[in-house]
Amino acid sequence: MSAKNRRFLIAYVSLVVLPVAGLLGVLKSGRTLMAPSSVGGVWKLRINPAQLTAMPCGRSLASTPEPVMTISQSGQRFTLEFADGPRATASGLIEGATLSASLRPLQPWSNESGCGNDRVLTMAGTVDPAAVPRTVAGTLSVSDCPSCTPVEFHAVREARPGSKGGY
Amino acid sequence: MPNLFTLVLQIAVILAVCRIAGTLFRKIHQPRVVGEMFAGILLGPSLLGWVAPQWSSYLFPVSSLGSLNALSQLGVVIFMFLVGLGINPKQLKSHGHAAVLTSHVSITAPFVLAAFLSLYLYPKLSDDSVAFASFALFMGASMSITAFPVLARILSERDLLGSRLGTLAIACAAVDDVTGWCILAYIVVLIRAAGSATPLWITIAGIILFALVMIYGVRRLLRRFEKVYRERGELSENLMALILLLVLISALCTERLGIHLLFGSFLMGAIMPKEARFVRYVLDRFETIAVTLLLPLFFAFTGLRTNIGLVQGREMWLYCGLIVLVATVGKLGGSTLASWLTNMPLREAAGLGTLMNTRGLMELVILNIGLDIKVISPALFSMMVMMALITTFMTTPVLELICPDRLIRSATENAPEEVAVPQFDLKATHGSAA
Repeated sequence: MSAKNRRFLIAYVSLVVLPVAGLLGVLKSGRTLMAPSSVGGVWKLRINPAQLTAMPCGRSLASTPEPVMTISQSGQRFTLEFADGPRATASGLIEGATLSASLRPLQPWSNESGCGNDRVLTMAGTVDPAAVPRTVAGTLSVSDCPSCTPVEFHAVREARPGSKGGY
Repeated sequence: MPNLFTLVLQIAVILAVCRIAGTLFRKIHQPRVVGEMFAGILLGPSLLGWVAPQWSSYLFPVSSLGSLNALSQLGVVIFMFLVGLGINPKQLKSHGHAAVLTSHVSITAPFVLAAFLSLYLYPKLSDDSVAFASFALFMGASMSITAFPVLARILSERDLLGSRLGTLAIACAAVDDVTGWCILAYIVVLIRAAGSATPLWITIAGIILFALVMIYGVRRLLRRFEKVYRERGELSENLMALILLLVLISALCTERLGIHLLFGSFLMGAIMPKEARFVRYVLDRFETIAVTLLLPLFFAFTGLRTNIGLVQGREMWLYCGLIVLVATVGKLGGSTLASWLTNMPLREAAGLGTLMNTRGLMELVILNIGLDIKVISPALFSMMVMMALITTFMTTPVLELICPDRLIRSATENAPEEVAVPQFDLKATHGSAA
């Protein structure tokens, strides 16, 4: 083997073969990593409408029989919006199986009597990762309202559309 | 039923903004494509949706995006055919060890570094519906890609296609793209197979069979197109329509096999005859409509999915910075080191590394697939789009800084004869006309 070929072989092994072996090690060690629970997708909420109507900022939400919310998740953070429902800027965090989100109502939702511009709805829940489809159970509460009773909700994620054909 | 008025209005606005941005970027010596990528971001939630949400929702209502997406995907299907068409395996053979080592290192270095970075990013930017292996492999594939067409365009504009550096860069980029797409196909198959009733081995066997039929069967038939072109100096409209039909059938086959439309169109381009004049002729016929009209729609659609607002806070910007750093160190550093080890002078080697770091449109295509199959999250998608923009934008000024044209030309004095590289002008979009 010529010196040129030998040098090429050494370079190839050290710059290509060894890193590929390292890649296999990375893939193996990465198996033990835990990522946040998946909550992205479309969810149907089941909430007692009577309790919701009694809560400030809840009336608009109660007008839909089964409010639908869409969560767009990026790791631990997510944004949330209601389809055909009240407009709100909402963002949240998921830590382990615990989900929390703040919804700041926008007009006309905030025009609702007793809602106001500075109210914040807080959603707190626990994801059941074993459930198929995935579910979240928790409460909706309103800021600055000690007398308001938190309303319980149960949300079920709709089957996530398969990637096939969804392109 | 799509709203035709909205769709036509969208196309008009997108074309206008892309042309203006492309022209402005040409004035600062950037390829037009960089301006058009940038224009797409401007039309999305990162700017228009942020400063004028009413205008944004009027112009791009969610219900209208299906039609826009369909048109833009058709453009990418044709574009990928053109990319495959521009790749010539003979280019690699003329460079021997240098091309083999440089191209392989320019894939493995960013790939492995991206996998290491995934150990850090996966718990922060992914979720448990994505397996770590899929996440890491996708990150690796997306960071190791090189934008073959943009790179060819930069070299062409600087009259460097025939230089040693130019031909080596083209050869390495071709290898990178083919390898990157093979890896991506594997990832897509893995992810789609997880939710499919068809066993994985059947999918893989089907893909291998399809590739063999294309390479050893269809390829022979395609030679007849070249023969007709040689005899008549042109192809009839019927034959051009037949080529387009074959591209679409090939795309449909790969989609049905569980990979993606784009793999089929890329493969069809790759197995087309490679005689330079024939390639140029076919490119000329297809690129005007695909590149002038349809690709800007793809840039806009990508921009509509890119929300820089999702990259909030110091922590998220740190992740973004790390992605850009790893992508650049892996691609630029790896290619530079490998070509330097094959006796290329250091500055020329750094020039090659800079060229290989161009990701451009190819990166956007891959990222959109990743977002579609949900292997990357919206925030990570936005970070990766920024990485694609930054690494493509930096190519021209960095190349001029570390490896000026005169240096490349002097290094080419004893270079081998010019390889018949289709210039892949994409003149309508990337051309110097504007």
